[in-house]
Amino acid sequence: MVQVVFEKVSKAYGDTVAIPGLDLVIESGEFVSLLGPSGCGKSTTLRMLAGLEQPSSGSIRIGDRDVVNLAPAARDIAMVFQSYALYPHMTVAENICYPLKKRGVAKADRAIKLAEVAALLQLEPLLARKPGQLSGGQQQRVALGRALVREPSVFLLDEPLSNLDASLRAHMRAELIELHRRLGKTMVYVTHDQLEAMTMSSRIAVMRAGELQQFAPPDEIYNRPANVFVAGFIGTPAMALADGSLADGGGHLVVHVGSLAVALPFAANGVRPDAVTVGIRPEDVLVGEGPWQAQVRLVEPTGYETIVALDADGLALTARVPGSNALRVGETVAFDLRRERIHLFDKSDGRRWEPAGR
Amino acid sequence: MKKRPAWIASLVAWPIVLLIAFPLLWMLITSVKPAAELFSTSPTLLPKAITFEHYVRVLTDTPFLQYFANSMILATSTTIVVISISVLGAYSLVRFAYPGRETLASLVLFTYLLPSVVLISPLYLMLVSIGLANTLASLVIAYTTFALPYALWLLRSFMAGIPQDLESAAMVDGASRMGAFVDVVLPQALPGIISTALFTFILAWNEYLYALVLVNSDEARPLTTGVMTMLISAFNIEWSLLMAASVLMSVPLIIIFAFFQRHLTSGFGAGGVKG
Repeated sequence: MVQVVFEKVSKAYGDTVAIPGLDLVIESGEFVSLLGPSGCGKSTTLRMLAGLEQPSSGSIRIGDRDVVNLAPAARDIAMVFQSYALYPHMTVAENICYPLKKRGVAKADRAIKLAEVAALLQLEPLLARKPGQLSGGQQQRVALGRALVREPSVFLLDEPLSNLDASLRAHMRAELIELHRRLGKTMVYVTHDQLEAMTMSSRIAVMRAGELQQFAPPDEIYNRPANVFVAGFIGTPAMALADGSLADGGGHLVVHVGSLAVALPFAANGVRPDAVTVGIRPEDVLVGEGPWQAQVRLVEPTGYETIVALDADGLALTARVPGSNALRVGETVAFDLRRERIHLFDKSDGRRWEPAGR
Repeated sequence: MKKRPAWIASLVAWPIVLLIAFPLLWMLITSVKPAAELFSTSPTLLPKAITFEHYVRVLTDTPFLQYFANSMILATSTTIVVISISVLGAYSLVRFAYPGRETLASLVLFTYLLPSVVLISPLYLMLVSIGLANTLASLVIAYTTFALPYALWLLRSFMAGIPQDLESAAMVDGASRMGAFVDVVLPQALPGIISTALFTFILAWNEYLYALVLVNSDEARPLTTGVMTMLISAFNIEWSLLMAASVLMSVPLIIIFAFFQRHLTSGFGAGGVKG
């Protein structure tokens, strides 16, 4: 079993603190994505795990070994880089065999391994070529091959798909999911693309400014974001966030947001924050009929659905409407909300607040 | 753009080539002319008779071979010393963060900006005091002082162009820092190393001033000063021998260029990382 554990890991560059203190436990066989905007410390975290950066303090364990003072070579990891980092002067075969050669694997065994990996990734016709003669997608597969060949206990992937075009990216995403399923190895995947994180991960670690915001399976990240940042970061189009307050409306919890007073299907008992941030996902805004009116500000048809920006008396909302809807800018429409799915965050600390009975 | 016919380019290029190459051609022609023809009152462009007697005399009657060996040892050792130090030094300047790194790099450049004449006297005194005056080693040290800064800067820019991810990948793949340097950085920097080595070799091979000042015995004299002192005296210049010696002096450089040009051009286009 190969667990990866970060314990109070911090990293500072001079006076700049990139990661103030990270605690993270990645279970054996998990596919974990480190997700966040640029500069959130996700790549630094991965590079510390790889041994390419030294943490300022804290411990990192792979399996039962503390690896902080081990060289990258001794950590039993393989890494795929965003730039692929294929050795330009070596052929594809030499690139893939390099990690084996460095570990003193006999030539005959190297050939067997190479054949296996080449078959798995359909690289056989390319083995004699140099990286410069390959397309982006092929280079990507060679980089994967070089990581796979050694059968490491942990795979590290640093934005491996970001240099590919959109269709190839979708294809490689599927291949990576399949690969993880087949190998069952621990994979740590850095990305700023939430679609990649949502589709591939068993759990997502959302990071911001070096701090872990939430570490949970994709559906929980989406449906129960732990704070305002995660709520606004995950989901396209983004969740509408607005200031509001809570009140007791005859035993029911009532949230006042903008000029709206929304009665929620929850009891109003227990302690509740004075001020809240109210989050409403676009799919929870139901356009057509309902108790409230809003003006259409923007219509973005995507074919399969239409994204509509609404203005409900100063409250900005986004709605998803199925198909190519005939809504016009400036038109006034009636709408309702899926009240049980409204997200509430304590305004004082930004944390998610759950009403009693949810 | 429409391509111009090749003959126009030739028409422009060849006269320029001839103009530049004429002194070399004249050197070659003079070296094979009999002495009598050399001083005839109606000078000839092409020799009436070709003779190799001057070459034979240079090689057998003069210490030319001794000087040649000196020059060869001198240029080769200088190149080896300069390249070994500058390859590692440039790598350190590019990859490692330490206080004063940029200052160090600028200081190195500053020494290159100083005219070498300024350094010659202090260098001579220093070499005398460590007992190296009048030896080949003194010249190796002297040449290193001015070839090294340039080599460092040249290689630094070459190495800065090598993506760091390549070394990171090599280290994750099982190489040590030094292993990654040897397996990945050196092959990538090879075109730069070859051109820097070539530059250093030529510099050492052609250097005159330091050789003149620092060395005055035949045991340690390189070709540049050696040929001059043996063939040019106050009363007489042995033109034929001088030209023959000059031709022989140029041969090594021509061979080296012919051989490494292929490496230089093939080195540049190869590889490259996407992204």
